Amino acid sequence: MSGSIAEFDLCGIADRIRTREITSEDVVRTAIHRAEQLQPTLNAFIQLEAEDALEAARSIDARIATGEPVGPLAGVPLAHKDMYYREGKVTTCGSKIRADFVADRTSTALARLEEAGAIYLGGLNMSEFAVGPIGNNVHYGDCHNPWNPEHAPGGSSSGSGASVAARIVYGALGSDTGGSIRIPAAMSGVVGFKPTQNRVSRYGLMPLSFSFDCGGPLTRTVRDAARIMDVIAGHDPKDPTTSRRPIDAYEDACGASVTDLRIGIPTRYFFDDLDPDVAVALEVAQEVFRDRGVALVPVDVPDHDHINLIWAAALSAEAATIHRKWLRERPGDYGPMVRRRIEFGLYQPATRYLEAMTLREKYLREYVATAFADCDVLLTPTMPVPAPRLADVDVSDGKGMTELVIAVSRNTRPISYLGLPALSVPCGFTAANLPAAFQLIGRPFAEAQLCTLGHAFQQATDWHARVPPIARNL
Amino acid sequence: MSDITGEFVAMLARTWHRFTLPAGNAESLADLLSPMDEAGEAVADAISFDEEPSDFDLALEELAPPRGKS
Repeated sequence: MSGSIAEFDLCGIADRIRTREITSEDVVRTAIHRAEQLQPTLNAFIQLEAEDALEAARSIDARIATGEPVGPLAGVPLAHKDMYYREGKVTTCGSKIRADFVADRTSTALARLEEAGAIYLGGLNMSEFAVGPIGNNVHYGDCHNPWNPEHAPGGSSSGSGASVAARIVYGALGSDTGGSIRIPAAMSGVVGFKPTQNRVSRYGLMPLSFSFDCGGPLTRTVRDAARIMDVIAGHDPKDPTTSRRPIDAYEDACGASVTDLRIGIPTRYFFDDLDPDVAVALEVAQEVFRDRGVALVPVDVPDHDHINLIWAAALSAEAATIHRKWLRERPGDYGPMVRRRIEFGLYQPATRYLEAMTLREKYLREYVATAFADCDVLLTPTMPVPAPRLADVDVSDGKGMTELVIAVSRNTRPISYLGLPALSVPCGFTAANLPAAFQLIGRPFAEAQLCTLGHAFQQATDWHARVPPIARNL
Repeated sequence: MSDITGEFVAMLARTWHRFTLPAGNAESLADLLSPMDEAGEAVADAISFDEEPSDFDLALEELAPPRGKS
């Protein structure tokens, strides 16, 4: 029973709970069993709230039994990067500094998920304070890649990717400031959705960067991600930065035609220095789209190297502003690389930060005018390389670690600076059985187009349906 | 080339932020800062302050595809 329940995707299990084919309590029990079985190997959870989840599941089952209307996620167990606040509960942010932090508010994203009937299963492992694309954590232990536990799961939403890939939960929220949803999604072989800047409320989400943070889902399928986006996206009076633009119907967009959409393939930067196996997977993915009737066209894109560096300057200045007090008073309570990556923001001149932020609008307008002149969506590798071995990631080695961070996140960071939506979709495996993925990048607020194309790809392939060996037969 | 040195970073830490950096940390921070400083110099001339104030959020809204296309 455990296997079959776990094999359904989010939409599939939600439909079965709503029609009383399966109870939410059974689904949650299965999720708890799998979380406990896999915790010694994956270390995906920082905290598992089994009893509260079971109580919530029984409540949902009772409501369904009486015919009470329930939301689109009713009874579905989810878990989230442990930086989404819940009033009265500890939210660690993957840190020693906030190990005992009790939130005084509940994040809007979690409140909306709960309103839609989702069950909160626990807080997931993450890179300390959401800093780092590898997924290691010196305080709570490294999270591991379900496809090969010797490899990194990707960060900073490491537990989100690992727990979804291992079929523990049906979806998880992460946060993305430079790739922290898309990178763990790509490394762990699941879907990761970074929305347009200001599309999803950040109220009650521990910030890393005021300007670049985005909340979004990691799921097994694009349709699952679309359903979560339907719930969490949209204006929030508690987060005045959120857009007032009406949201599209993302799950409905999954059934739309792709034949009038054009995909642009950048002729430089994104496909540089690709791992050969990743390159093959990307070639095959393009063929899948061609076979579905999508036009693929080469497109020029502006220079990204400077964008990446000024993004880092601005991000670090914002992160250092948030962390300055702790950096002074509790420097030894940070992991060494996390501290270094935040700390250098203390030494950026204000003029450099303001230049980076002032250029953001100019670069966005230039980028859209150039890259999207002849297409609707860009397709690139999410990462040029597969997941590295954790043993090769030395968090005390500043120079080597910096180079690795740059390599892993080179294709995601510029999109964060530009504020554009991006959807990472698994598209194959390397010879070492590690996932490869592409990202679809849209114009601002074009999330629905990404859903249409990503879903069409998954209708024609089964990469997303493959289960890591350690997650089978539990 | 950027002239940011560990000694300079350590001085900024003491003066602006009132804490003392270990020597090795200051050097590695200088290594991180230098390429950003150079990139900042390279792009600074691209800014035309006569066009200020910029509004990134408004640009996002304006650059969205027409509704119905998405």
